[in-house]
Amino acid sequence: MIHDSIIRDRLVTGDKTASDVTRDIARPILNNPMIAWKVGFTLSLIFLGIFGVSLLYTLWTGIGVWNINKSVMWGWDITNFVFWVGIGHAGTLISAVLLLFRQKWRMSINRSAEAMTIFAVICAAMFPVFHMGRVWVGYWALPLPNAFGSLWVNFNSPLLWDVFAISTYFSVSLLFWYIGLIPDIATIRDKVKSKLGKTMYGFFSMGWTGSTRTWARYELISLILAGLSTPLVLSVHTIVSTDFATSVVPGWHTTIFPPYFVAGAIFSGFGMVATLLVVARKVMNYENYITIGHLDAMTKIIMVTGTIVGIAYLTEFFIAWYSGNVYEQYAFTNRMFGPYWWAYWSMMTCNLIAPQVFWFRWARTTPWFIFIMSIVVNVGMWFERFVIIVTSLHRDYLPSSWVMYSGSLTEIGLFLGTFGIFFTCFFLFAKFLPVINMAEVKSILRNRE
Amino acid sequence: MGILDKKLSLRDRKKMLVGVWEDEDQLMAGAGELAHAGIHIHDVYTPYPVHGLDRIIGARRSKLARIAFFCAVTGLTLVTTMIWYMSVHDWPMNIGNKPVRFTPSWAPVMFEGTVLCTAFGMSFFFFWRNRLVHGIKNELLDIRQTDDRMVLTIETTDGMDEKAVLDMMKNHGAVELRAFHNGVQTVL
Repeated sequence: MIHDSIIRDRLVTGDKTASDVTRDIARPILNNPMIAWKVGFTLSLIFLGIFGVSLLYTLWTGIGVWNINKSVMWGWDITNFVFWVGIGHAGTLISAVLLLFRQKWRMSINRSAEAMTIFAVICAAMFPVFHMGRVWVGYWALPLPNAFGSLWVNFNSPLLWDVFAISTYFSVSLLFWYIGLIPDIATIRDKVKSKLGKTMYGFFSMGWTGSTRTWARYELISLILAGLSTPLVLSVHTIVSTDFATSVVPGWHTTIFPPYFVAGAIFSGFGMVATLLVVARKVMNYENYITIGHLDAMTKIIMVTGTIVGIAYLTEFFIAWYSGNVYEQYAFTNRMFGPYWWAYWSMMTCNLIAPQVFWFRWARTTPWFIFIMSIVVNVGMWFERFVIIVTSLHRDYLPSSWVMYSGSLTEIGLFLGTFGIFFTCFFLFAKFLPVINMAEVKSILRNRE
Repeated sequence: MGILDKKLSLRDRKKMLVGVWEDEDQLMAGAGELAHAGIHIHDVYTPYPVHGLDRIIGARRSKLARIAFFCAVTGLTLVTTMIWYMSVHDWPMNIGNKPVRFTPSWAPVMFEGTVLCTAFGMSFFFFWRNRLVHGIKNELLDIRQTDDRMVLTIETTDGMDEKAVLDMMKNHGAVELRAFHNGVQTVL
């Protein structure tokens, strides 16, 4: 039986009607861009330029311009790869897992979080692709018929699993995002005035009319796609973790990696969602749609996943001691007290200690504080990947090959540049597509149960 | 029955009565009473999913879940066959002296391939069944049906008391009543 909820707070405040929702959310698309958008987009383009220059230098001179011609053969590049893939996970979690759990608060934030997934995976893909060095033969990673004595790809390798996992994740996320967008694109189609706009939105809305029959099937396909995306998102970071866990490198060779990586991915992803949405709700006047209640819910997830990650740090440390394996024990002692101690303790502070502040209601409901904390989470999760990759590789079994590693200017430029890719895509998305799922939000205006 | 749901097109509709609502509850009550009176509702166009409406208009349960299962089985079979062909049949590689046969290490690629085939196969079917095609002409009855209005359509039949139907719609809060005849709408 459907009735008005007497215990739950309204998910959309300000007594909005369906036409208010259309007007508010379509405003950035139907009007000229705001000053804040122009400034943000220009900054993003500058960072995109930094990416372009760094990439051109890498391709022109060779992969040697990265400081990875030593035993630390995975440096900033794979750190950044794991960092960006992780960020993408929150989008799928919000749109798929929260849909399966019937969490209606997801409806105001799922669209932008899904967009973030897609853009983050694009950023992530840059690093393994260009790490190949000869990127023009990158298609060798695909199982294609070839002229090398029918030499096929190795299906036992986690690196090949990655190729399949990331490409499936990207394409299924894109499909899920697009299907969710169709009703809203149709709404814009029927509102936009320009002929080009009508043609473009008309093309992508695929003749959507909002028929009840179509809505019933649309809800079913969303549910099935959510059911598929949930194990998919778990598989992606599990597979990324097996890139490390199936090796024999001390500090990597551990069975806790899959759940630890998945929790870390959700943690960092929510960090990035919070960074973007705290700003977007203010700048785009979406405070009635992305309410303090939404921020509260997101920060609770940040706190829980941060604590899971923290427990994983302590568990792997305990197991290194308990295993009696001297190499494992040294790897973890070296992490904490070796030359990269600052990275390890930055990670512990940002990921385990800092999120505990969200036990306090004030911290969960104060947007400027959440913004700062979300940056702290992102910094911490970058350091986590740096610690795992660099501290394990710079001192392994052979002391004669022990080295120190720091990213070259080109590697730093590429990392900063991916923020250019990410934010350029995000600003274009915010200008041309509805940042909030209008159709779904309209269905929860009445706070029914 | 073809895959395309022919009920979705308005092209072949000769004569219909159209009621426009702005309130979801009134629409549900009106649609419920019409259905109870034995009047067949052709479709209702809404800007967001209104739960329960599909049952009122007599829409049958979608077979999408079965299609998804079929696509999953096809995907799993294709991917497993591909791996077996490449790794065992065509060019077996000696990697660390491990046996050349089905191994658990195939599972990740088998899983990803299954998910990929299911998602795209099912979506292709969804687009086809729902007449969702890039560049197709929009068949809108009201420009605001994707914004805040809900449009209910009834195909008129011989012997139907049209006035009674229109009264029923009006009594349940329809803000506008129209007649649709060979693609042209007239406000009543």
